[in-house]
Amino acid sequence: MIQCRDIYKNYRSGHVNKSVLKGVDFTINPCDRIGLLGRNGAGKSTLIRLIGGVEMPTSGKVTRKMSCSWPLGFNGGFQGSLTGYDNARFIARIYDKPYREIRDYVETFTELGNQLRMPVKTYSSGMRARLAFALSLAIEFDCYLIDEVIMVGDQNFQNKCREEFFEKRHDRALVLASHSTEIVAQYCNRAIVLHEGKATIYEDVGEALAIYGAL
Amino acid sequence: MASFSNGLRVQANVIKALMIRELVTRFGRENIGFLWIMAEPLLFAGLVGIVWTYMKGPESHGMDIVAFVATGYIPLTFLRHSFGKSASIFLANSALLYHRQVKVQDFIFVRVTIEVIGSMMAYIFGGLVLGYFGMFPIPSDMGALLAGWGIYIFFVFAVCTVLAPLSELSEVIEKLVPITTYVAIPFSGVFSMTSWLPQNMRDGLMWSPLVSGMELMRYGLFGSVVTPYYDVPKALGVSLCCLVVGLILCRRVRRMLIVP
Repeated sequence: MIQCRDIYKNYRSGHVNKSVLKGVDFTINPCDRIGLLGRNGAGKSTLIRLIGGVEMPTSGKVTRKMSCSWPLGFNGGFQGSLTGYDNARFIARIYDKPYREIRDYVETFTELGNQLRMPVKTYSSGMRARLAFALSLAIEFDCYLIDEVIMVGDQNFQNKCREEFFEKRHDRALVLASHSTEIVAQYCNRAIVLHEGKATIYEDVGEALAIYGAL
Repeated sequence: MASFSNGLRVQANVIKALMIRELVTRFGRENIGFLWIMAEPLLFAGLVGIVWTYMKGPESHGMDIVAFVATGYIPLTFLRHSFGKSASIFLANSALLYHRQVKVQDFIFVRVTIEVIGSMMAYIFGGLVLGYFGMFPIPSDMGALLAGWGIYIFFVFAVCTVLAPLSELSEVIEKLVPITTYVAIPFSGVFSMTSWLPQNMRDGLMWSPLVSGMELMRYGLFGSVVTPYYDVPKALGVSLCCLVVGLILCRRVRRMLIVP
């Protein structure tokens, strides 16, 4: 279970103060598939970073009682100047997993072949997404945080994600920030609509999608 | 207690991983790689030593001048690199903050440790080479030499924990960080022994842990030729205060850090 209690997040840049989240409260239960909906700039990525502990809330508290992946998104989590293999080695070390297993999984899942010997900064966003997903799947978290990226992948990648997340790991929790109403409708059992700093949680995904469509 | 030892194990893993990553990114896998880290202090110490030898003769106050310069300059390079690399260190490594177990303090610890390893290698290697030519003494008191290094390293680390978060808070401070090195030089005991100075200056310098550290190092090396002035409790006290302030700053800055 992951609890977010009364979360506020302000960003300050010079004299401009922007408050992105104004009191967000919800709980992620094991096995929850939560779709995170909201317009651009509504704070979806911010919320996912706070859940993942990349940034800290200005006030309020995130309590994690299950293991939780880092936010899988377009950036972050990798050292660009290191190769795919070196990044895998780094992640195996900090998550205390045997490198051999991680490497084998990454090789089969990403199908990047020799590209894994190249620095990650030379990867396209699709290739990065493959690597990030492969690593986080190899580590086996209880809860996965996904920020948009499923959409950047090709058909083959999307099929793999479907198989790995929604079939093999149906017992894990998932928070999925997405603009794709299709994906959310298909895979999520709950949805959060972020609007003007407030989060509303809907047990009925159809209702959430209707509200999101009307924003 | 179990969670504490578990946390300690996690931090040990993180630090090990960061060290390897740092070494691979900074020195690559080709060339003489890691050995570069000691090339710079050795070259500079050698050149300054030679110039000084011509200007002032081969000995000063009973110490070989090349050895005197090398023993001062190698710790100073360590200080300069550590301070310089503390600026914007959080942002430079921010991609790794995606992993919750990686703490900002780990970045500082790893950078300083790598600098320590490099300057230690330079010190030992330089000492052996100079010693072969009879220009470097055999340490007369190993304990004092190591204690001096210990104090010096501890203080540099403590200052880095202050500089790193401050550089993140304001661009002005970020630009000023390189200057801190030059400000530190007169208080670092590099180019003179405290005993050569008048009494009132001597007392003032005792507030600088760098001076106490350097005096102990030189005493440990040259032995009774020099009269060392040091104040260990004061040095440790100043460093500890600095470290506490630094760790509090790190914590506060981490809370408001924007990770791109």
